[in-house]
Amino acid sequence: MTALLEIEDLHAGYGDHEILRGVGLRVDEGEIVTIIGPNGAGKSTLLKTLAGLIRPTAGSISFRGRTLAGARPDAVIRLGLCYVPQEANVFGALSVEENLAMGGWVASGAREARVREVLELFPALAGRRRQRAGSLSGGERQMLALGMALMVEPALLLLDEPSAGLAPALQRLIFDRVREINARGIGIVLVEQNARESLRLCRRGYVLAMGRTQAEGPGTALLEDADIRRLYLGG
Amino acid sequence: MSAQYLFNGIVTGGILALPAVAFSLLWKLLRFPNFAVSAYLTVGAFAALTANRGLGWPLASAWLGALAVTALVAWLVDRVTFRPMRARRPFSLAIASIGVTFVLENVIRFVWGNDFRAYDVPVTRAMTWAGLRIGREQLDILGVAVALMLLAQIFLTRTRLGIAMRATADNPPLATVKGVPTERVIGLATLGGGALAGGAGVFLGLDTSIDPLLGAGLIISVFAAAILGGIGSAPGALAGALIVGIVEEVGTLVIPPTYKSAIGFFIILVVLLVRPTGLAGART
Ligand SMILES: Nc1ncnc2c1ncn2[C@@H]1O[C@H](COP(=O)(O)OP(=O)(O)O)[C@@H](O)[C@H]1O
Ligand SMILES: [Mg+2]
Repeated sequence: MTALLEIEDLHAGYGDHEILRGVGLRVDEGEIVTIIGPNGAGKSTLLKTLAGLIRPTAGSISFRGRTLAGARPDAVIRLGLCYVPQEANVFGALSVEENLAMGGWVASGAREARVREVLELFPALAGRRRQRAGSLSGGERQMLALGMALMVEPALLLLDEPSAGLAPALQRLIFDRVREINARGIGIVLVEQNARESLRLCRRGYVLAMGRTQAEGPGTALLEDADIRRLYLGG
Repeated sequence: MSAQYLFNGIVTGGILALPAVAFSLLWKLLRFPNFAVSAYLTVGAFAALTANRGLGWPLASAWLGALAVTALVAWLVDRVTFRPMRARRPFSLAIASIGVTFVLENVIRFVWGNDFRAYDVPVTRAMTWAGLRIGREQLDILGVAVALMLLAQIFLTRTRLGIAMRATADNPPLATVKGVPTERVIGLATLGGGALAGGAGVFLGLDTSIDPLLGAGLIISVFAAAILGGIGSAPGALAGALIVGIVEEVGTLVIPPTYKSAIGFFIILVVLLVRPTGLAGART
């Protein structure tokens, strides 16, 4: 397997406040990797650093063989690495259609075809093309955020808690869609609170705590590990 | 009689709408009220005066020249003053914009002096229609203002760049993540906002007279219109400008004209007390 994304000893933070203190992570082509960890562990900070919003202070990021540390957000998305933030991940004042257009800002050509694909994957959005994203339900908003990411034909999606705050049925729907997107060959880094569900979904998982990679292994193995269950999965 | 005030109010509102839309959209995009819009009005008026009186251009060409000059001035001000301060708090930026206004106003005062001036335009006779005195220039101003508002609205809702501008105003980090060149979008908005304000300054000079305090006399009304319409809404700012323009003109029927500017303050006060999100804020 060739590595799509490879992170070594990554350090990053906000100003003088270092949050990531040596993160290592690897994602192979077309793989789903889950990251779990307690609140404040630095999961969102890690994704923001990969997306180019935070400049790492040390360590390396390599994506499709290119070095990515310090690259600007527009360069990152142009390379096919697409980040879906945890919060405020749609443009509330814009319509669904306009949001999709902005999702595909760096994409070239065939926009209409891609919009159709997204609406096929998320039929709930199809009837709401002209509706303001701010007036969508929580589930629809997450679908739109995913749809926006698909507008660029990404090689790797970074999803920050896509199921947070959703009812169980909607969580399942989102996880199903994530699986479907992955089946198209798109790699996925999934940060989740819902550790059980997401660890079942992934091939491999990582446990991130206190800014470091604490454990790594097949999702099911992490789920069965007594220490991890006790520390991070609530027994 | 009062229909005349209503008509004058609509013309005033039409002029007011241009800087109000610029002020409102720039406020949403850059997250601070840019009071330098007041100076941009004056810059526009004097740029056209120079072209018209100094170079002998007809006013229509001078107006176009004023759009370009003011757009450029606004862009330079942004580059030199606001861009290095992007990460600062809105309050600091608002204060800086007041500083910019003083500087620009005094440069104009230094070069052109304090006198009241007027454009060199052929004298036209006002038409009378259903008892209304309607100036030819008033009609031109209203027509051009409406056309500019339509263009701005089409740009913002129908073009990719316009949608990107609204996206950047709505959620700057997300726009950045999606690869939208936010600094270029801001630069373009600044050019457009400067042009709208500069164009309105010429209209104001044509409707009244030209002096270095031309913009300063209008900024409270601009502020009132933007707040009334809801910050960030172009149609809201247009509606707000018409209401402010009409209330100010019709208001002079009941209060002395000296207190005309107090009406703007009063509208700001009422909006902030009753409906801080403005007219367009109803949906959220
Ligand atoms: N914008 C910010 N500025 C300063 N500190 C932040 C910022 N965002 C998050 N942090 C801090 O960084 C730490 C990690 O946060 P985060 O990466 O969001 O954790 P997680 O996503 O794992 O819950 C927390 O202590 C949080 O308070
Ligand atoms: Mg988080």
